[in-house]
Amino acid sequence: MEMLPEVEPELEEAELQEEEAEQEEEEGGEDGGLSELRELEETLAKVQIAPSAAQLLDPKAEADSSKLPVSYRENSAKEKLLQTMADNFNCQYSYLYPDRTPLLLCPLNECGVQKFVSTTLRPTLLPYPEIYHWQGCASFISDFLSLQPLDPPVDLPKKLCSPTWTLRTQKGTCFEFSTLLCSLLLGAGYNAYCVSGYAMKEMCLLNQNRQECPLLKPQVKKAVVQQKEEKTKYTVKPPHDLYSRFEKRQEQKRQEEARVALLSQQQEAQRLQEERERPPPDPLLGLRVHCWVLVLSGNREVPENFFIDPLAGQSYPTTSEKFLGIESIWNHQNYWVNMQDCRFGCTEMTFDLGNPVKWEYLLRGSTSHNILLNSDTKTQNDQEDEEEEDEETEEVFEMPPSWVSRIHISQEDMESRYPGGTKLIQYRQATVEKFAPYLMKDGLITRLTTYNDLDCTHPNTVTEWYKHRHDHLDERELEKATGLTTEHFRPGRSYALKCHRYVTLIPETERQMDFYSRFRVDDLASRVETPSEMTETFENRPDFLYHRQVVYDKQVLSFEPAENAKQVRRPIKKVVEKFHRDHSKAASEDVAKRVFLLSEDQIQVTYHLEEDRSIPAWRNFIKPRDWQNTFTPQLASSFQVDPRDEPDKELFLYEALMALMAEEKNVLTGIQDSEEEVRAILDARQQEESGITLQISIYDTARNEKARMYIEELKRLAEEELLNKEEKELDILAPFLAKLGNPASLTREQVQQLVADCLAEMKQRLVDRANLIQARFEKETQELQQKQQWYQKNQLTMTQEDEDAYLAYCSDAMFRIHVVKLRLNRHKDKAPQMYLALRDKLRRDPRLIQHLW
Amino acid sequence: MDKMSMWYDRMGHCVINEEMLRKAVEEQGPQGRAGRIAKEGGIQYDEVIQLRLEYKKILQIDHLWEFTSLTKLQLNNNSIEKIQGLEKLTNLLWLDLSFNKIKMIEGLEALVKLQTLSLSNNQIPAIEKMDTLEHLEILSLGENVISQIDNVIYLRRFKNLRSLNLARNPICQETNYKIFVVAYLPDLVYLDFRLVDEQTRERALTEINVMTDNELKEKRAMEAQKITEQELQLHKDAFVEYLNGPQLFDSMFADDAEESRLASLPGVPKLLETYQTELVALCMQIFETGLIQHAERKNEGDSFFTCCREAVSDNQQRAAQIVTDFEESRRQVMAEMQKITDPELLEAQRDNYSEKISQLSDTLMTLELQLVDQLEDVFKEFERNISDMVGAFIENVQGIFAQCRELEKHYHEKLQEIALATLEKMARNELEEDMPEDMHLLLVDKDTVVKAVSASHDTHQLKIDNREDELMTRINSWMSAMMKSVQDEEVTRNRKRISEIRNYLEYVRNQLDEIILPEQQ
Repeated sequence: MEMLPEVEPELEEAELQEEEAEQEEEEGGEDGGLSELRELEETLAKVQIAPSAAQLLDPKAEADSSKLPVSYRENSAKEKLLQTMADNFNCQYSYLYPDRTPLLLCPLNECGVQKFVSTTLRPTLLPYPEIYHWQGCASFISDFLSLQPLDPPVDLPKKLCSPTWTLRTQKGTCFEFSTLLCSLLLGAGYNAYCVSGYAMKEMCLLNQNRQECPLLKPQVKKAVVQQKEEKTKYTVKPPHDLYSRFEKRQEQKRQEEARVALLSQQQEAQRLQEERERPPPDPLLGLRVHCWVLVLSGNREVPENFFIDPLAGQSYPTTSEKFLGIESIWNHQNYWVNMQDCRFGCTEMTFDLGNPVKWEYLLRGSTSHNILLNSDTKTQNDQEDEEEEDEETEEVFEMPPSWVSRIHISQEDMESRYPGGTKLIQYRQATVEKFAPYLMKDGLITRLTTYNDLDCTHPNTVTEWYKHRHDHLDERELEKATGLTTEHFRPGRSYALKCHRYVTLIPETERQMDFYSRFRVDDLASRVETPSEMTETFENRPDFLYHRQVVYDKQVLSFEPAENAKQVRRPIKKVVEKFHRDHSKAASEDVAKRVFLLSEDQIQVTYHLEEDRSIPAWRNFIKPRDWQNTFTPQLASSFQVDPRDEPDKELFLYEALMALMAEEKNVLTGIQDSEEEVRAILDARQQEESGITLQISIYDTARNEKARMYIEELKRLAEEELLNKEEKELDILAPFLAKLGNPASLTREQVQQLVADCLAEMKQRLVDRANLIQARFEKETQELQQKQQWYQKNQLTMTQEDEDAYLAYCSDAMFRIHVVKLRLNRHKDKAPQMYLALRDKLRRDPRLIQHLW
Repeated sequence: MDKMSMWYDRMGHCVINEEMLRKAVEEQGPQGRAGRIAKEGGIQYDEVIQLRLEYKKILQIDHLWEFTSLTKLQLNNNSIEKIQGLEKLTNLLWLDLSFNKIKMIEGLEALVKLQTLSLSNNQIPAIEKMDTLEHLEILSLGENVISQIDNVIYLRRFKNLRSLNLARNPICQETNYKIFVVAYLPDLVYLDFRLVDEQTRERALTEINVMTDNELKEKRAMEAQKITEQELQLHKDAFVEYLNGPQLFDSMFADDAEESRLASLPGVPKLLETYQTELVALCMQIFETGLIQHAERKNEGDSFFTCCREAVSDNQQRAAQIVTDFEESRRQVMAEMQKITDPELLEAQRDNYSEKISQLSDTLMTLELQLVDQLEDVFKEFERNISDMVGAFIENVQGIFAQCRELEKHYHEKLQEIALATLEKMARNELEEDMPEDMHLLLVDKDTVVKAVSASHDTHQLKIDNREDELMTRINSWMSAMMKSVQDEEVTRNRKRISEIRNYLEYVRNQLDEIILPEQQ
């Protein structure tokens, strides 16, 4: 490849080069206008391609290669030397190993300049916490870039763009992916290498069709450490078993057979399934070129070597079967060629880079710490050591610094994350769509669709995750088969709704609502509804209620208009309430269950079990129909567990019944409230869904309108301030210039006149001032003298007060005279200085300066 | 009596009599329909919870002995001069005797549950005689004639006292009255119906040193004693108390009359010393074994009781489930039966249902019997294990005690040797040093010496035997007591269960019969 001209003074040349960068190796003599037109066309085409133009972020504008720094466009002397060494190395290598494929050493960069691969790595640490770990780096790279497969898939690329270019265009080959990822990892302190080698087809093409979706992986179950009940010494024997053992055995046998049959069936089915899913054999197996990242143990507390596939952002052990072979690896300091056998993939590969038998290095004694660590030079005595070191330092050729400029990822890029803000990944029986925050109007972040079949035609479940939603919706799951929707909410909603599972939003249908019971006054945890029942569960209530079930009677068909029918409440058949044990009460007085049989006018109360009892006490009441009639004991029937207990007193029963009837009213009100609450929640949900709004943090200056206005206001104020300040600096020449009629430029004579005027004016001012002070001094002295004369005249006839006043006046006047005298002296001292200062200032004045000297 | 009351009436006073009480109870009891029902049921004085007898010009508290469940009694604004007649009202929580003419605090000893006591506006000169009122929380003694501020210290014994009213007593005139009271009653929240503020509390803390050195020492001593007692209790539970030191040895020689004389024989002190160390070592061995064994027995017991509890509760749950299910179905069936009008059908149903009841009875009884069997097995196993453990322990201890006896025998022989040798020496007049007077008495002849030595030996033997016997009797009685209690508990539980089942079945059958009767009429 010939070197391109080093300097392009003309625009046309630059554009030509841009064309080259965009379309590989296209020669053309189009002029600038044409290329601009083409560019415009291209952008237009892109706009049309975008799925929903208004929604999606603008695709990255094509980067302009002419604006790239010089290091991109030319090679330094050291780089040239390096390339010579690399060529030399390559020659020897191809001579020694003629049957091995050539190495990737010096591909072209985006400017068409040959660059050594190691110098293309640019270790950079970015100021984002999530990029500090390899997981964050890898997932960001895989999200941020889109893959351009190698073409043909069995050849090394001719071109390797810089990481900065890759970031700008947001697309690249697996080599560019790896280079960028490796740069970030090196910057974060990992001992990372780019690996050029061979991998399975689905790895190279980022085909995740056969992989399980990571979102679907069963949540790691909390290791159910089943407290294996420590075998206690004493256990009761199970009751005698009176069944025939023979029959039991027969039964067991039958079950065993059935189980085996079922198992084999399942295995068969599974086998068939696998058969179907197995990919067709790849004719290019083992030839497909791939590039990935190797992280060696040691730095950043990495316990073991591992690979990272930059395309999917996943890590694999170095023994993974998906990687079929390694040609070479490199980091920013050196380049190694693998000399190990790859017939069995990478499973038996060792990564001891200091071992020259297994890894052939390009640069001798380069500063790779692995080599340093393994060298035993330290055992030799000091002198030799020093000499050797001296020799070495002279000889050693160090890898030149990277030609790539500093990698920068903007905050917006971090946030939008996916190319164009969206990404779709196909998994086995599942697709995942990812969106940048605030991209979708409804706050959608991720949508996972699972399918029943491998061809992904029959959706099974759609799970959507949301963010920044004003209605606190976090996750929504829709089962296609049943139409069942489950919505999860973050805390902070009214009624503390946590989870809502429903088919339709029409009240009085089947649904389940879970609540954050801690935030509710009534400690409600969940409410399950069916058309004929409503069950509420409570947690930690001070009155120990934990369960309330309402059974509705069959709906009486009303012939009223539908609007009214909505208001008609379903008649309640019975209400069951259950309570936990309240240990402050006696068991036989502590209600365990209350049943209000509203349709039968009965109330049944069952109490908790006493110790060592299995039969609870209960009291049943029949509500008196007629309120005016007195209470008769026949209305109550009760069972007492202990026959020795005295029967209940009539008064007690009467009071209990009264209390229960009052309770019944409360309960009914509570149920009514619950029903209304359900309606309110459903209404609110409907409203929220019809007008979704997103929450914008007040710290988000890019999106928060108010915050942006505020900042703009601040800026405006600051500007005004600056303006005011400038105005305040008075122009001493202004009046004189005005006399001359504010001419645009001054002649020499004018300037001299101006300076002279100005200085004369100053002089006059100073003299005037001195005169003024002098006059004041004289006036004071005169007044004092007059007063003294007056005093001497009237001294004898004066009262004491007058004399005191006179004395006070005297001392006052003396003080004033003294002050004026001081000021006069000081003025005399300072006047020449002021005069000189003005002169200096005039001389420095930019308007006059050219005429004065 | 009539005459008396007339006299009282003339003076404008009256006594507590039947009529007054009845009227008060009726007035203060439930009203309206509930009141009518209550009256029909008959008023029982021993069920009355609250009673108000205020503004009645009562001169003397009387006739209240029937109100045993009373928790609140108000006798304020009367002319009572002496607190009396309250001995039976042991459930009283609230007693109001304000605005009377009481001269001294007395007669409150029986009211141990009392929490609130008001004696304001009386003529009480001193706080006293309330030692038993440990739960006192609110005490009002305003407008009395208490004049000694030191009297407040009496209230320090009421750990729950939170509100105290002493307003308008002579002691309030004292300059540091408030601080004094707060200092001595640091837990007080309200004094004279006002919240005690932080400032006062701080001043009280700094200005008055409540805890005298003696009190502190006493407190520490009490704590130390408590710890020792706990330890001792543990040792006693392990049946090896006082074996972790020379106590046994000391007791052996304490009651030995001859000992002091024999001890002064030459060579004996050294002999005694070695004897003591060896015996103490053996005692320690017993002690440690005892403690270990105690812990093991405890573990054994714990696991046994856990097992029993689990078995019982499991069984109970099953039975409860069966009963609940049955009861539910029974209620339905009953309701259905009540609607049947055909006598024959009813009869058939009735028979059908009695059958079901019998079935239930069988199920429940079987369940219970199962449990009884299971528990019995476990219990036997436990008994066997425990008695094995106890046996092993006893054997072990007996062995060590035998060693003790061996030691004693050895000591005895040595002692005798020395004594006889000394006697001989004396006979030959070879003893240089001056013997004490006692020694001369002892060393009269061989018989006396031997007698003395063997008497000492017998005493020692007896002590050792006694200790051993004590240990064994106690451990055996502990074992039998525990076994008995376990068995008794099980029997009570079983009785309770059986009676409950019978009671329920009877109830169910009665209910069934009741349905049939009206139909047959």
